[in-house]
Amino acid sequence: MSVVLQGTGVTKIFGGLTAMAEVDFTLEEGGIYGLIGPNGAGKSTLFNLITGYYPLTSGDIAFGGRSLGTMATYRRNQIGIARAFQISKPFPALTVLENVTVGAMFGGHGRGSASDIARHAIRTAGLEDVAHRHAQELTVGTLRKLEIARAIATGPKLLLADEPCAGLNPSETVEMVACLRSVREQGTTIWLVEHDMRAVTQVCERIFVIDAGRKVAEGTPDEVVNDPHVISAYLGEPAESILA
Amino acid sequence: MTATPRKLFLAFIVVLLAIGAVLPGYVSPYHTRVVMGFFMFAGLASAWNILGGFSGYWSFGHAAFFGMGAFGAAKISTALGAAAGSPAAMILPVAGATLIVAVFAALIAYPILRLRGIFFAIAMLGVSQVVTELVNNVSWIGGGVGVFMPSPVPAGTRPEVFYYYIFGALLLLIILVTYAIRRSKIGYGLLAIREDEDTAKMLGVPTEHYKIASFVLSGVLVGILGAVYGYSLGYMSTGSVLRLDIGLNMIVFCIIGGIGTIWGPVLGTAIMLFITQVLLSGFLDIHLMITGGIVVLMILLMPSGVLGFFNAKRWIRFRERAR
Amino acid sequence: MLFLQTLVNGLALGGLYALAAVGFSLVFGVLGIVNLTHGIFLVAGSYGALLLWEHLGIDPILSIPPVAIVLFGVGYVYQRTIIHWAVSRASLVASLVVTFGVAMIIRNLLQLWFGPDIRTITPSYSFSSVTFFDLRIDLVRLIALGMSLVVLLLLTALLRHTHFGRSIRATAQQPLAASLCGLDVERLYAKTFGLGAALAGASGAIIGIVQPFSPATEAGWTLNAFIVVVLGGIGSPAGALLGGVLLGLINTLTAQYIAPSMTNAAMFLVLVAMLLFRPHGLLGNAMGESR
Repeated sequence: MSVVLQGTGVTKIFGGLTAMAEVDFTLEEGGIYGLIGPNGAGKSTLFNLITGYYPLTSGDIAFGGRSLGTMATYRRNQIGIARAFQISKPFPALTVLENVTVGAMFGGHGRGSASDIARHAIRTAGLEDVAHRHAQELTVGTLRKLEIARAIATGPKLLLADEPCAGLNPSETVEMVACLRSVREQGTTIWLVEHDMRAVTQVCERIFVIDAGRKVAEGTPDEVVNDPHVISAYLGEPAESILA
Repeated sequence: MTATPRKLFLAFIVVLLAIGAVLPGYVSPYHTRVVMGFFMFAGLASAWNILGGFSGYWSFGHAAFFGMGAFGAAKISTALGAAAGSPAAMILPVAGATLIVAVFAALIAYPILRLRGIFFAIAMLGVSQVVTELVNNVSWIGGGVGVFMPSPVPAGTRPEVFYYYIFGALLLLIILVTYAIRRSKIGYGLLAIREDEDTAKMLGVPTEHYKIASFVLSGVLVGILGAVYGYSLGYMSTGSVLRLDIGLNMIVFCIIGGIGTIWGPVLGTAIMLFITQVLLSGFLDIHLMITGGIVVLMILLMPSGVLGFFNAKRWIRFRERAR
Repeated sequence: MLFLQTLVNGLALGGLYALAAVGFSLVFGVLGIVNLTHGIFLVAGSYGALLLWEHLGIDPILSIPPVAIVLFGVGYVYQRTIIHWAVSRASLVASLVVTFGVAMIIRNLLQLWFGPDIRTITPSYSFSSVTFFDLRIDLVRLIALGMSLVVLLLLTALLRHTHFGRSIRATAQQPLAASLCGLDVERLYAKTFGLGAALAGASGAIIGIVQPFSPATEAGWTLNAFIVVVLGGIGSPAGALLGGVLLGLINTLTAQYIAPSMTNAAMFLVLVAMLLFRPHGLLGNAMGESR
């Protein structure tokens, strides 16, 4: 197993405010990782640092063994870091297939023709039934899958997913979890921010917990939910009630 | 997609082409001119559609390219002192005019495409007004007093038949270009720009390049039609080619047929010209009202045009059931 | 002296442009709609004043209130029906096309009713002029400028000091928040549109005594209004005045020092340059976000 993404001493200071302090993380290829923490803990900040939206104050992030330094966002996208946003931004009057084809054509460094890649991404995300529907006709849950499909059509090695299950009903959540699993089976490493503890513990193999810009715990779902630091810092109450 | 509708459609096109090829022999000169006008306006609407329909940048000033094509060809043809009666004499002036329009479009493309939506539309209207007044008032260009163009129609050929075939061929060319673009990578990029330019950029679409390319191509095709139209007039002044209504008709025809589709502009032109030139040719004084009324009704009842309406509601469902 | 005379003419013309544009500006700022019917409302105002003058002998200045009231009603109903349908069924861009279509219809109707010829309204004071030191200005232009300023001041007071005016400004900035605060935004849109049409009609009545008009002049007035908005900023009387005066000056200076036939080219050149370099107007935006 090779290391996909490694952060060492990742620190970000906005003015006088320390948003991210000395955070270390290692993601190995083919895993599904979770990132949890209370509101304002720095989850989005961390993703923004990885995609290059903000520059680091100190520390380093390496992708595939190569330091990202000050590389521009779109370059990071090209070398294989994709991000699926929580608020999906589809091309409304295009069909699902066309939406994904755009991702495959322009972000693509995958093998095969763009339409093959697009069809593959649509199958992976479980969107075959709606491939010829216009994006504007889709439900929130399906749009979220479209966002994932379009991101993986660019052929990323790492997919950063912002709360893919937020706002979904239980059956849509189940479908999304299946979708993420099948993305992982294609060899893409996934790191997701998620509030839905049920989804996180079901799908993730390893979870990072941050609070106030610091990493407070890291481990398997079981380890994390039983970690006293996590319970006091994040959950604030016994884990059983969260998982109930 | 199932093969049968596609084959039927191709057969339909072949029949239309065959009818088009022999039509001038069977109808009156008046009707030949009506169909010729249809070819030209359908070509204009399709060319406008490459920019306005695919990339979503609605230009209200494409008449500028039309007028530049016409006057460019006139100036070059005068300078060359070409003889009348030879179709080959058209080649150089039309090519030269095309080049002029291409250079002009390429020069204004970058700055003006930084504007979006209504601001782009009105800025293009401004460009066409400036071009119009310059053509009209710069005596070297001669739009004010008018310019003559030697007729390239060979002896023994009726002019309306000659231009019928030229405009027909140009329309075919423009439709093929549109078709090729729609199917290509740049076509997908333009559609993505139309839908959401920022997201398109994020996904790696080279938005600036694609916008400029479609702007220049769209302008150049309109310019070629303008150059040929200038020849067909024989004599023209500013008001014959730099007409606001030409620029607006391109948009109206696309809206009626279906903006952003391949056949929408052609269908829209056919519908509108049939209504105004054939059905209501005797009611010239209410043409504006009819056009306006149709436009309003279209937007209220079928905002995506005739083709868009049937595409969205029937065709897609049909295809889904067929699969 | 010639320069000063040109400036004075430009200012007088600018007052007219400002008034002719302020209704358009208000509708653009509050509803986000580029109303291409604006010019034809203005011309309809001119014809209204012409009718009242020819048949009842009412002075065009006195015809401003009745013309404005009628057009307010027309604008109100128009927004509640066609504009509302277009925006809710299609998009804001669709409203652009719809207003264009309606302008064509009304233009055709006016042509059928009044004929396509150019008309003027000539009250008794039409040919008098005022001399001030060496500067000469037509009395009608002076009256027109005065009336334009009066209407603009009234509008400013309305926007500043009445509940209706405050609601308009609030809605321009945050439609959603305004509706959450209990404003009936739909009705307010209709009233604003009516106000815009009324202002167009009022300026049409005034313009009727200064300049010749025909149904075909409508497109020019709509475009002028757009340029004024781009120059001065969207949605405020002060912005309209600034933009109007600048446009008036550009017009008369070009006519005097370059060529009378180049005024439109100069105006549009300035428009394109403004859009490219100062897209929010010279003063920035007076109201709401630019769309």
